[in-house]
Amino acid sequence: MKRDALVAASFLIAFIFIAYVVTVKNILGLGGEELRPLSEFYLSHAFAHEGLTSHSPEVVTAIVWNYRGFDTLFETFVFFLAIMGALSILRLDREQLEHARELEGSMPHRQMDLIVKATTKLVVVMIIAISASIALHGHLTPGGGFQGGSAMAVAALLLFAAFSKFTLERRGLTLKHTISAYAAGLALILATILAPVVLYGGKVLEINLLPGETGLFNLDVGEYTAVTFGFLTVFLILGIPEWVFKNILRRELND
Amino acid sequence: MISFLLAYISITLFAMMLLGIYGVATRSNLIKKIIMLNVMGDAINMLFILIGYRLVFPVFPPIYERHITFEEFLNRSVDPVPQALVLTAVVIGMAMNILLTTYAIQFYRLHGTVDVRDMAEMLRGDEE
Repeated sequence: MKRDALVAASFLIAFIFIAYVVTVKNILGLGGEELRPLSEFYLSHAFAHEGLTSHSPEVVTAIVWNYRGFDTLFETFVFFLAIMGALSILRLDREQLEHARELEGSMPHRQMDLIVKATTKLVVVMIIAISASIALHGHLTPGGGFQGGSAMAVAALLLFAAFSKFTLERRGLTLKHTISAYAAGLALILATILAPVVLYGGKVLEINLLPGETGLFNLDVGEYTAVTFGFLTVFLILGIPEWVFKNILRRELND
Repeated sequence: MISFLLAYISITLFAMMLLGIYGVATRSNLIKKIIMLNVMGDAINMLFILIGYRLVFPVFPPIYERHITFEEFLNRSVDPVPQALVLTAVVIGMAMNILLTTYAIQFYRLHGTVDVRDMAEMLRGDEE
């Protein structure tokens, strides 16, 4: 109890100090009127008509995939590692997957209301359309692959809640398919970053050598696919009911 | 007025950040730790976006449009760099969340607890 009070008091003192420094001394440079030199370079070169340009009126996408391309590329790898880490913790071998499917099939089939199902169908179609427009127009309007992919993954979660994982798997959204689509997205990204080397003899990720805005568009589409199906893969495994998973784990421990 | 608002929001965000650190340090439930980690991360991301804001009127997003001249665009547009940094950080945060939640869920399935004190006791029991 005494230790908690001490911790709280020290946090209060830290807060007061930070508040003083931020408001009176303005160390963060909040609310300045002039542009920082780095941003001025980005803003004036992203859509310049001569010289080095990344052919994108949307400066954020230009920074993400062109000026700081390696940063984003390795963020994609970090994302891949996180998804693979989650998958390797929750992995099931073929026998166990079949067992899980049997157990899920034996569950009593309960359905949501007609209202819920019809509304979900409408909303999901809208979300998918919006996420596609976010991702495919990423180099022209606000948005990009990451944001579109996250929106699309949310649409899939909505379907899980209103229908069931079982229904979706019967329609073809199985683990095998989502992992293949994830790999296809990553392959598109890799192909786009290696294309300047192979076709034009440039450097890796020098995508402004490619004609027009193909480079940015391809990377956005690849990222869209990768993020969507990366999340979906984990959601499909996390969607296995708790008692089914416990049953499988108990069998594995008994063996 | 607007500079007062900026200072107010930034101080609130700092308070949220400290609250997140406090929660991560003092709660013993793993799920609560993950939630407080999220609070902290979101506060930091918002602070980043706030640093990129410019006190000009009217202020534009960093997207070049045809009906404004280039000089006006440079004078009016907000800083694009913080936005680009936060954009990737948000998605990586979500992926990290999934990883942490997965660990917590699997630990609960195997041992029936998500309390760090119980975990420490289990470790001590293993050593003896």
